[in-house]
Amino acid sequence: MENKKKLLLEIKDLKTHFFTEDGVVKAVDGVDFEVYQGETLGIVGESGCGKSVTAFSILRLLDYPGKTVDGEVIFKGENLLKKTEDEMREIRGKEIAMIFQEPMTALNPVFTVGFQISEALMMHFKISKEEAKKKSVELLKKVGIPIPEQRVNEYPHQLSGGMRQRAMIAMAMSCDPILLIADEPTTALDVTIQAQILDLMMTLLQEFNGSLIMITHDLGVIAEIADRIAIMYAGKVVEYADKKTIFHHPLHPYTLGLLTSIPRLDIEMKRLNVIPGIVPNPLHFPSGCKFHPRCRFATDRCKKEEPSLIKIEEGHLVKCWNVDKVLKEVKKGLLVEV
Amino acid sequence: MNRILKKLFSNATSLVGIILLVFFIIIALFAPAITPPLFDDPYQIPRMSWDINPQPPGSLMSDDMKEIYGFMEKEVKWEKAICGTAEGGYDIFYGLIWGTRTAFKIGIITVFISMLVGIILGSISAYFGGWIDEILMRITDIFLSFPFLVAAMVLTTVLGRGLDKVMIALISFGWMGYARLIRGSILSTKEETFIMAAKALGVSDTKIIWKHLLPNTIFPVMVQGSMNIGSMVITAAALSFLGVGAPVGYADWGQMVSFARNWIIGSPGHAGQYWYAVFYPGIFIVLFVLSWNLIGDTLRDILDPRLRGEL
Repeated sequence: MENKKKLLLEIKDLKTHFFTEDGVVKAVDGVDFEVYQGETLGIVGESGCGKSVTAFSILRLLDYPGKTVDGEVIFKGENLLKKTEDEMREIRGKEIAMIFQEPMTALNPVFTVGFQISEALMMHFKISKEEAKKKSVELLKKVGIPIPEQRVNEYPHQLSGGMRQRAMIAMAMSCDPILLIADEPTTALDVTIQAQILDLMMTLLQEFNGSLIMITHDLGVIAEIADRIAIMYAGKVVEYADKKTIFHHPLHPYTLGLLTSIPRLDIEMKRLNVIPGIVPNPLHFPSGCKFHPRCRFATDRCKKEEPSLIKIEEGHLVKCWNVDKVLKEVKKGLLVEV
Repeated sequence: MNRILKKLFSNATSLVGIILLVFFIIIALFAPAITPPLFDDPYQIPRMSWDINPQPPGSLMSDDMKEIYGFMEKEVKWEKAICGTAEGGYDIFYGLIWGTRTAFKIGIITVFISMLVGIILGSISAYFGGWIDEILMRITDIFLSFPFLVAAMVLTTVLGRGLDKVMIALISFGWMGYARLIRGSILSTKEETFIMAAKALGVSDTKIIWKHLLPNTIFPVMVQGSMNIGSMVITAAALSFLGVGAPVGYADWGQMVSFARNWIIGSPGHAGQYWYAVFYPGIFIVLFVLSWNLIGDTLRDILDPRLRGEL
């Protein structure tokens, strides 16, 4: 079934480093994943593990001191990292669009919402101002903004947070992109609005069988919409599988830690599980497996050798030496039903 | 925009500034009607007599002067020096009226061009960063290290006399402030998500600078510019006063003050006898600079987001 789906985006061994005065920060250090047409990929991880940098690297949005030093970003069979800046500009917005975390700051305060949506339309479709404005009103209507004829002439500060995020979505969707990258699109919103925004994004994407890369640290959101999940830690993908596998048979201690730290209603727990420690400083990563100082399964081998991403079964990749130990733990059955 | 105008007119200080400015604009616009020029170059102040001493307000044109103008087939439309004459018989009133045009020319042209240079260099520097920023900012540093007045004086002396040379000198050493100002605000604004969002939509670099960055950052520069129009006029006047500015007889307030230099204290026993020689051009300079400063002040108050209470 999976093989029949069309491969849209393939990322191979992506490495994006920041050359700072204190040293090289390896924000993304060897990330691989695939996105199929019409599917949703969830990228999950703690703050600072390189999720957003991965997204920016796909669109090549990073400026000095950030630089993608290695790897391939193959979109529709072409390597985006080898394209010229002009070719990239054609792809940005039209083929791949992005939604940002902060709807408050992602809209330019000095222009009307309508202008900002029209800008992309006029650029990519070479249509007149009037047509673009007409289309903007339609788009605002589509994303569920009431009285779009009036809203289109309003400035961002006149809209509420949820409305601004809707306007952002309208902007991102204006040129019918085939791939949407959403960088924590619901983090800054009320829980009630979150569900609406997610629904809206999914409905719009399904309309033309678009794909979504959902970046979040919210496993609830992921459980809701993702088909496939990449768990990231310290700039690397540590586990990659479809949603069911991740939630039912995780094989990486970090994934397990994330899943068991979700509060449960069905099991009585005295204390919530936590993953001890913090994300290591990217300037001084630990030797061997980068997760070993926080891992309760860690052995001497973990301290010395870094595991590679091993294929456990078709479509399930894990980067860990102690898969069998984790498996035993998982069988005790502490995981959430999805 | 309406809000800005409304504020400008409702504030007492800015209202004074606006009234003064309107007064000067009217003078500049109607200069040919108020004092019809005698010569082909209207900025040349006509002489009312050959007297070395300044003549008091109300004195008439001397007969030999009339003869000369008659011989030159020039039609003299007025014979009275309303504000007196300066050293050498130059008509003060004529100089004041046409000097207003000179002041506007100097102020607006120098500020506009140096602002443009500053904005272009500053925004390129801030937006692209890296070695471009490094080179442009070091050049700015070099220009900043010259004392403004001295540098302008030296450059005018090298280039030669004339109003255009004065303006070139003022522009050459007047753009750095704007470059620094715009660079600072662009550096902070370009980190905003909406710039990243615009890039993610495929907007080009030039468009991002012009359409997204500048409208968000240009107001402090415009305030600075409006305040600088006054100080540019003062500097130009200072250059003329020091004798490196406008050519002799050119309608320029600074030069008229310079004419009065020997007569400021009056003659023995008659302190302030020649007050009109320094008073009229002096008061025009003061009022002109004051009007721009008052307007600049109010603009700053209006446009400062912290005082605006919107952010």
